Amino acid sequence: MLETLSLMGAGFLNALSPINLLMMAGGVAMGIVIGCMPGLSAAMGVALMLPMTFTMKPETGLIVLGAIYCGAIFGGSISAILIHTPGTPASAATAIEGYQMTLRGQAGKALFTACYSSFWGGLLSCISLYFFSPLLAKLTLKFMSAEYFWLSIFGLTIIAGVSSKSIIKGLMSGALGLLISTIGLDPISGVKRFMPSSYFAEGINTTCALIGLFSMSQVFILAEKKIKARAQATKFTDKMSLSREERRIIRPTIFRSWIIGNLIGILPGAGASIACFLGYNTSRQFSKHKEQFGKGSIEGVAGSEAANNAVTGGSLIPTLTLGIPGESVTAVLMGGLVIQGLTPGPELFGKYAPMTYTFFAGFVLVQFFMLGIGLIGCRGFAQISRLSDAILIPCVTVLCFVGSYAIHKNIMDIVVMLTFGVLGYLMRKFDLNTAAVVLALILGPIGEKGLRNALRTSRGDIKVLFSSVVCWVLIGLCIVGILSPIFMNRLEKQAEKDAVAGTGEDVEKLTEEDSV
Amino acid sequence: MKKTDIGVVSFMYIVCAFFYYHMTKLKASSQTYPRFTIILLFGLTTLYLIQMIVAAKKYGVESGVNEVFKDFQPAQFFVCLCATILYLVGIYFFGFYIPTVIFMAVVLLYLRVPPLYAAIAIVVIVALIYFAFQRFLGVKLPVGTIMKALKK
Repeated sequence: MLETLSLMGAGFLNALSPINLLMMAGGVAMGIVIGCMPGLSAAMGVALMLPMTFTMKPETGLIVLGAIYCGAIFGGSISAILIHTPGTPASAATAIEGYQMTLRGQAGKALFTACYSSFWGGLLSCISLYFFSPLLAKLTLKFMSAEYFWLSIFGLTIIAGVSSKSIIKGLMSGALGLLISTIGLDPISGVKRFMPSSYFAEGINTTCALIGLFSMSQVFILAEKKIKARAQATKFTDKMSLSREERRIIRPTIFRSWIIGNLIGILPGAGASIACFLGYNTSRQFSKHKEQFGKGSIEGVAGSEAANNAVTGGSLIPTLTLGIPGESVTAVLMGGLVIQGLTPGPELFGKYAPMTYTFFAGFVLVQFFMLGIGLIGCRGFAQISRLSDAILIPCVTVLCFVGSYAIHKNIMDIVVMLTFGVLGYLMRKFDLNTAAVVLALILGPIGEKGLRNALRTSRGDIKVLFSSVVCWVLIGLCIVGILSPIFMNRLEKQAEKDAVAGTGEDVEKLTEEDSV
Repeated sequence: MKKTDIGVVSFMYIVCAFFYYHMTKLKASSQTYPRFTIILLFGLTTLYLIQMIVAAKKYGVESGVNEVFKDFQPAQFFVCLCATILYLVGIYFFGFYIPTVIFMAVVLLYLRVPPLYAAIAIVVIVALIYFAFQRFLGVKLPVGTIMKALKK
């Protein structure tokens, strides 16, 4: 206990270093910019900025990625409130009440509510991050080779189901990713496998694949559609604040949404887009001012925004402890972790505990930066949210090129990134799951080592894969993972239906922005 | 069932066949995991094919092309794609900065961005890359084979 407290204290001291503070501010600002631009997603932003973190210390790099993540989730609310277009799917529910408030001349109040609730949602989610992560990480100490194999399969079944219209297509995407992950030298015998040139000796560069699948593919998606002028962001003149009474009213809403968002975040397979609708619905159910819903309710904005930001801390728990990211953004974040040479699991809370606790402390401080930068810069970010896709297309392309080249200073990395960009574009067009491919590229080698080591120790006896209770638990979880999208889709649809009931909103329109 | 899904299934089978062909050339111990993943992909693709056939019998066959390529702007898309590929080639020969300025100017003007905004976007991106990547992070940007030869 004392040791943990001292690690937490040391983490805060490290996180408060000038470079970390500078990176937090930069990351949050970058995240808000990405989040407030419809068409760009949090996952895309984190993937794009991943190469920038290579030269940084692991904790600083992770803090930057965490800051972009949190900033982007909040940033989505700015365009949702001001131009009725959610910057990210996580803010779809915010648009319902937020835009109504804007129409009533209360845009400043709506933005303050969004920022204030996001801050509390994110901050409270850090409690569970601190509390549950070490406990869950200890569980993985019981894992042997066979268990690691099943864990990698479980991770894939979870992510394959998320954001896939067809479960089988999601699983096919995962299997395709696993197959691509076998390119390169055999990790055990060193034999060349499926290598057209020696460039691929270390396998497919995960970062290039990430940038291609998430960022470059989005450029192609933007390039294929007719460029439309964005709606004029409403200029607001009202004060960005809430009265003491209004803060008192939204307090229980924030608390409830924190719990909802946190649970949704911890649950692999669910994400911020589900949490925002659930948070919004719950705020309406418990509200004493139900008549204000659909006409611009601060409780509605608070419920949605606190819930989607509470997901951030929660979703990091399975990512850091089990190596199972629940959604696209955390899959990219895990890529950042692996690229830094770190493996999710007990090591992060043992050998690398100082780094992990610095990241956690940074994650707490990021919430304060989000509040400050969000409140000060709202008017400026509102103008950025109008940036045309015509400007975004070449700008993001250039950043994708530089980002992928920066890793090994090799033109071939750009070629790989571009190839995965085209692959990602086609996959998204045909409802395949790009996040599953990315996760498979990360989990593939872990699963392969697990499977082959297990078979080697058992002299080829396949029974070893079913020899322990943990194996059976993981097999059971794989089945749950495959079936969970059915439940999650129903939950999301029901939440969306409940959210728009009586408000006259078109949920299809609100969630139509194509984001990864 | 959508006809476009036939393309998806065919692609997956081609991938399986390609990897299987190359896998047979590997020594036995190195075949274990690729074989597992090929069987997995093949099995799932076949399962999807069965689902497609059942759906076709039940609901009929629809094209799906209109849905997949709704609002598709072919000229705009292919100009952007070609410009991106040429940009890559340009970087290889001429280094980073010159092709970046040309690529951005061409795409921005083609997409009808007002020249002033286009100029601002180019300056901002080039400055961002110079200061953030080259100066702050110390990333060495490509010099280009022709530029390298000219320097010598």
